[in-house]
Amino acid sequence: MKILTLIRQVPDAEARVRVTNGAVDLEGATLVMDGMDEYGVEQALRLREGGADAEIVALAVGPRRNEDALRTALAMGADRAVHVETDAVLDPISLSKVVARIAQTEGIDLVLVGGQQADWDSQALGAATAERLGWPQLTWTNGLQVQDGALTGRHDVDEGNETFTATLPAVVTTQQGLNEPRYPTLPNIMKAKKKELRKDTLDQYGVTPLVRVVGAEIQARARMNRVIDGKDPQAAAAQLLELLRNEAKVIA
Amino acid sequence: MYDPTPDQRVILDALRNFLRTRVAPGAAERDQTGEFPLDLARELGEMGVMGAQTPEAYGGSELDTATFAMIIEEIAAVDGSLCLTVASHNSLCQGHILVAGTEEQKRRFLPDLASARKLGAWGLTEPASGSDSGGLATRAVQQDDGSWVLNGSKNFITQGSVGGTYVILARTDPARPGRSKNDGISAFVFNRDEVQGFSIGRKEDKLGLRSSDTAQLIFEDMRLPEDALLGTRGQAFKDVMKVLDGGRIGIGAMGLGLGRAAFEFAARYASEREQFGQPIAMNQGIGFKLADMDTQLEAARLLIRKAADLKDAGRDFTVAAARAKLFASEVGVRACDEAIQILGGYGYVKEYPVERFWRDNRLTRIGEGTSEVQRLIISRAIIAKHKQDVVGA
Repeated sequence: MKILTLIRQVPDAEARVRVTNGAVDLEGATLVMDGMDEYGVEQALRLREGGADAEIVALAVGPRRNEDALRTALAMGADRAVHVETDAVLDPISLSKVVARIAQTEGIDLVLVGGQQADWDSQALGAATAERLGWPQLTWTNGLQVQDGALTGRHDVDEGNETFTATLPAVVTTQQGLNEPRYPTLPNIMKAKKKELRKDTLDQYGVTPLVRVVGAEIQARARMNRVIDGKDPQAAAAQLLELLRNEAKVIA
Repeated sequence: MYDPTPDQRVILDALRNFLRTRVAPGAAERDQTGEFPLDLARELGEMGVMGAQTPEAYGGSELDTATFAMIIEEIAAVDGSLCLTVASHNSLCQGHILVAGTEEQKRRFLPDLASARKLGAWGLTEPASGSDSGGLATRAVQQDDGSWVLNGSKNFITQGSVGGTYVILARTDPARPGRSKNDGISAFVFNRDEVQGFSIGRKEDKLGLRSSDTAQLIFEDMRLPEDALLGTRGQAFKDVMKVLDGGRIGIGAMGLGLGRAAFEFAARYASEREQFGQPIAMNQGIGFKLADMDTQLEAARLLIRKAADLKDAGRDFTVAAARAKLFASEVGVRACDEAIQILGGYGYVKEYPVERFWRDNRLTRIGEGTSEVQRLIISRAIIAKHKQDVVGA
């Protein structure tokens, strides 16, 4: 079988993001593979290690720097990579067109994408890709196996957890708790250079963004620096209640 | 052009990810308990960090020295103790086997070291011989059957009590007439679980690097097979100098990493901490301190880079490594000291990490040749060069 695992590159969780001229400025920020997509790469590797005869293809759609994230996926164990290089910022629906097309041309059986793209937070990519392909989709998985050409696993629903079986091909979205991604080893990072990293252009897919970002701002958070004198506990509690009610407005 | 290569970026990303999730959370506590993190050493072994420059044929990652220095800098910026473990395990123990070992010795010892199944220790220093390392008193006497018997002790040995493989320097022969007293010294390599007469003496209670293992080694009629000899009999001191040249790049990078960690902490603090109605970094007294720290650390990074590149190009890098180690350790410690000053009272308490950075970094001005020894190496090279010039004129 063939597994396609989509990789996004996002600022490191500790990176300080700036906004310059109405757009997020990633100059100088440390960029890493989106944690959610990392679970997808890891799960693809585990399916193979669990006995599935799988070829694992890593895909990134984005600027040149995405190569680093693809190299990380290759170093973790993906067999080859496809990079659709573009500086255009694609909304999830446009992006799903590229993913679906590659899934078809590559003869993919299983598409793994992060459940919640860390930079758009739309949760739409998996669903849109499945819709385009007419494949089943399983969201928020926290367990996944392949047996006799069928998919079995568990996923979160609103108030609990379901186990499922599904036919392949299918689209699966991943999340924290699915697995514990491995660290790529240094020798594998060096060897990953020798693996195929194919470059495509966005033009090949005839995709243009449907949504354009015209401005961005960072939510500013400021401390109130309000300190309550605790010498008289009852007065302090009353004052705290008063502040929570009338100033913070978090209780009625 | 000074940006990391794509390979280096991917390596550093993976390493930072590991350091943030596995190493950083326990670093302050390990500093308090002094517990050696054997699990972290093993995990770094699985990643390939414990055989960073060892050729792939022997299970290593075969990285160049510049990349190794970047790795050391990153680890130091999070946990100085773990950094010293990684630096010494790579540069000293494996470094000596790589410089002087036979093919058979490399095949026998390096795979277990590169994977950290065994930790490596390297023993040169003794109670009565530090900078004067040629004055070592440990003796190895060859027996009629070719085997060796060692007697003596070693001091301040990193991984001394947790090591699996040891490289030990001992005198086998008196210095030949007309030679320096460094002549007649030999090196030996062995696995601890294969010898008798080897014991661990005192474990040191140190100012910093408290979860790095430092111990005394004692040899009492310790018998080693004939093939434990590492390099040419009586000629090991030349190898020692080469090993130390390489090790100094690592210790320089460690001084830089700890200094950088202190600098970054102080820069964040000074940009946020307000006194007299503005961030304290806006006061030139603080802002200029940050500017000096930043500039000095960047200069140290360039000196380390030069020494690393010369080493990889197969050129003489003795003076370059001495300069890099001297400067990086001195400005690294200074950055830690200034960071404490910028944080004031918060810099002096254990709630913040900068006092640990200072305590940890203080070793880099001492280990693998003190700053004074580095100045000796550099000044002797200057004198030799200028003396030649005079004679030549």
